[in-house]
Amino acid sequence: MIEVRSLTKRFGSTLAVDDLSFTAQPGAITGFLGPNGAGKSTTLRAILGLVRADRGETAILGLPYARLTDPVRRVGAVLETFDAHPGRSGRNHLRVLAAAAALPPSRVAEVLELVELTGAGRRRAKGYSLGMRQRLGLAAALLGDPEVLVLDEPANGLDPQGIRWLRDFLRSLAAEGRTILVSSHVLAEVAQTVDRVVIIHRGRLVREATMLEVEAMAAGAARVRSPEAERLTGVLAAAGLSARPLGDGGLAVDAPPERIGELAAANGVVLHELTAERATLEEVFLSLTAPEGGEPGA
Amino acid sequence: MSRLVVAEWMKLRTTRAWIGYLATLVGLAAIAAAGTVGSAEDFRLGTSELSREILSAASFSTVLAFVLGIVAMTTEWRHGTVTRTFLVTPRRGRVLVAKELFALGVGLLLAVLALLVVLAVAVPWLEIDGSSFETSGTAGRALRIVAATMLWGALGVGIGAIVHGQTPALVGAILWILLGEALLTAALGLVDAGDVGDYLPGRALSAFDGSDAGGLPMWAGGAVAVTWVVALGVLGHLRMAREDVT
Repeated sequence: MIEVRSLTKRFGSTLAVDDLSFTAQPGAITGFLGPNGAGKSTTLRAILGLVRADRGETAILGLPYARLTDPVRRVGAVLETFDAHPGRSGRNHLRVLAAAAALPPSRVAEVLELVELTGAGRRRAKGYSLGMRQRLGLAAALLGDPEVLVLDEPANGLDPQGIRWLRDFLRSLAAEGRTILVSSHVLAEVAQTVDRVVIIHRGRLVREATMLEVEAMAAGAARVRSPEAERLTGVLAAAGLSARPLGDGGLAVDAPPERIGELAAANGVVLHELTAERATLEEVFLSLTAPEGGEPGA
Repeated sequence: MSRLVVAEWMKLRTTRAWIGYLATLVGLAAIAAAGTVGSAEDFRLGTSELSREILSAASFSTVLAFVLGIVAMTTEWRHGTVTRTFLVTPRRGRVLVAKELFALGVGLLLAVLALLVVLAVAVPWLEIDGSSFETSGTAGRALRIVAATMLWGALGVGIGAIVHGQTPALVGAILWILLGEALLTAALGLVDAGDVGDYLPGRALSAFDGSDAGGLPMWAGGAVAVTWVVALGVLGHLRMAREDVT
């Protein structure tokens, strides 16, 4: 469980995070989204005690990060900046962390195996690819087998197989009841991974919703394809429904598919396709964070 | 706390920088010892005064410990490892104290190693010359070199805690010790306050380890140096405790 309450952080004249509140629940993956510069990294760093809030508070498992006893066993984090010494091997990097956190040295081999980095463990980190660096960061986060994970752009630098692997991995961790908060700007990727989204823009919360709620944001619309498109348009118009032609020969109709299907059947119009239109995360995201959609007075 | 000191030791041992520190220290100490023995006039051979001068060749360890102390702290910012360090140990004061203790320990090792190198060069050399290394009156000098090296290391950690940029911290600190203190002392002398210069950290430590005969008495030099270590440590803590790691 991660709680953010009225978090406000200013860097010089820039208001990075502005009265932001949200929660991330156990057993779910919460996506933390926003355009570049929206305040995602600052928020995550405040949650992890790396950045001091000007106002408001953050808590993990009910406590501010700095007050957690044994934080490595409670919270694992991967931040966007690479945090291993380039001249140290990945394995030694993890051994240092295990020593500092009083974890058994055997955990090092376990997490290297878990992130599939065993083969490169003895190489110096400066030779690691972006994907290997992400895996090493994840290995460091998992050292203490924590119940909460905070990941900043973890898909960066991963190839498609790596992204697939990460998604399955996070799903299995969430299924074990862990709390996972993951920021990303790769929306297509997020949509397939997360259960809930928290969308911020200019440091403020614009929407906190489940993925089901996101998809329902365009509910009531449907796309339909018919070899008798003109006749169907007429039938729909007679019922007071407008149909907008789509590029591929289909029609977009602002009505639930049930109603369109009933009208078509009653009038003997052949349909080749009838689907409920679901909002994509990308559409919702873009509409919520569009420049002209900015809050008044900002 | 001990596990954090162990982690600092592992950090030193798991990159290759320590090889450079060791090679530099062994090389400089050996050359300085050879120079001292080789240039000693015949009438000084076998005197404890010459022995103390030979031991002073080991005080290169103070420079190495100072640099190592500064680097132990600033490398965290240079390579961004400070993020992970503070995630593991969010009470940042504990990180600082662990690094201070680590620097004291490494200072001890460096000084002992330097003394051994110096003796390994000087003792056989003197024997071959038909003389010997007079040990009486040398223990105090050796111990003071060890203690001074430890304090220099801790001083370096404090400086790194205040100035996180590795290059500015190293260049600034070394210029200060080589030039800054002498210039400031000279300037203070113009207003009849030259004695104040004796209380600057580098001069206090020189008075303590015996490399500078003028200035403060030995123990006063040590006390002033300890005060500087504590003062810089507290300043570094105040800086680190509140700063944002972005």
